[in-house]
Amino acid sequence: MAKHHPSNDLLMEHAAGSLPVAQAACVAAHLSYCERCRRIDSQLRTLGGAMLERLEPVSVSEALLDNVLARLEDPAPLSYSDQTKGTELPGLLERLINKDFSQLVWKRVTRALSVSYLSTGDTNHEFALLRIAEGGRIPEHTHGGNEMTLVLEGGFSDGRDSYHPGDFIFRSSEDKHAPVALDGEDCICLTVLDAPLRFTSWQHRWLNPFLKLRAS
Amino acid sequence: MVVMAAASCMLNVEISQVLRCGMVEVKNDGEADSGRGSGKWTVPTGRRTDEWSECLVLIGKSNDRASFTRFFRHFAPLIKAFALAGSSMSAAHADELVQEVMLKVWQKASGFNPEKAAASTWIYTIARNCRTDMFRRLQKFDTPLAADDLNIELEGEEPFTVLHTRRGSDRIKDLMGQLPPDQAQILAKVYMEGKSHSEAAAELDLPLGTVKSRVRLAIQKLQVQMDRQ
Repeated sequence: MAKHHPSNDLLMEHAAGSLPVAQAACVAAHLSYCERCRRIDSQLRTLGGAMLERLEPVSVSEALLDNVLARLEDPAPLSYSDQTKGTELPGLLERLINKDFSQLVWKRVTRALSVSYLSTGDTNHEFALLRIAEGGRIPEHTHGGNEMTLVLEGGFSDGRDSYHPGDFIFRSSEDKHAPVALDGEDCICLTVLDAPLRFTSWQHRWLNPFLKLRAS
Repeated sequence: MVVMAAASCMLNVEISQVLRCGMVEVKNDGEADSGRGSGKWTVPTGRRTDEWSECLVLIGKSNDRASFTRFFRHFAPLIKAFALAGSSMSAAHADELVQEVMLKVWQKASGFNPEKAAASTWIYTIARNCRTDMFRRLQKFDTPLAADDLNIELEGEEPFTVLHTRRGSDRIKDLMGQLPPDQAQILAKVYMEGKSHSEAAAELDLPLGTVKSRVRLAIQKLQVQMDRQ
């Protein structure tokens, strides 16, 4: 069961539908792991429903009703069926990565770290999978902006805490951290960034000019 | 033992009771539905909860056009208001959104479960998703993810979740009318106009911290059960 969750503010923005798609996808992926947050999300949508009922109605023409009644028997558009249950990964991620991690192109950043960029259509947010080799370390870094991380496989520790599948971590630009993958298996995380990472240690700072936000 | 929870502390007590006698409660899931024999379920105060849920059930079960028409007449003007709230959406697009939402209501009604959500919650979720998708279409924003894909429903197998959810919905509706205007205004910006907290702050010319604290106060008043942070 996940121990680290999105803040109440983020959950509310998710329920209100105001998060950019890449961030919304990361929060939704966490919800698919976390019953606690699904429950809060449901209450926050209930709040939305109650607000909807209190709006000042705007009149709708009879023609519109007739139009809808005439179209009721139209076949429903195809949609992806319910979220797949019992699979390891949230359904929405399975679709973005084409089933499983083996199909992905991984780019090596350091000896312990590879990245695979996914496309959500959101050009302000990089949406990527990170693979950290077991026991491997990501050099200490900060961000020009915010970073959402969701652990999908394995786990990592940042000195403060350790994180496991389903855990959601939000870091703002000031946070400096150097995650280390736990032993036993590679750690795979989803990360959503709105600005590129900045390595802080002198051994890795030379990489910074090459770290561009790869949002698509 | 099922008493309308007037205060969150009572609700917590009640949940712990449910948990304590969890085994019994599974079988007793019907107890909270004691008003159901008549086909209308009631909250323990005896107040009839939600005629629109019944309407949806009828639409889902028997493709009942009369119920659908009734549902349309109530909700379509609200969906239109939602479409027009704080956005530059034209009246023509707002009508298009109403049609889309109402067709979805017809197509999805069989999946509606009155045990899990109030009709207003259910249709709000559909309207929110359709509006997001429509904005993206209008802005030619191309994404492989439809808003529906990012909607993760509560599974609600556990009886206490079900109780919690449905009861919560009645309570939130009751308390909504008592919110001070400055808190209600911000919730409206966030929910009805789809603004982020920082956009709401900019529009109302308030510091972000003020917006966040009003949201927090509103959440407390509405007794939405979130953890303190």
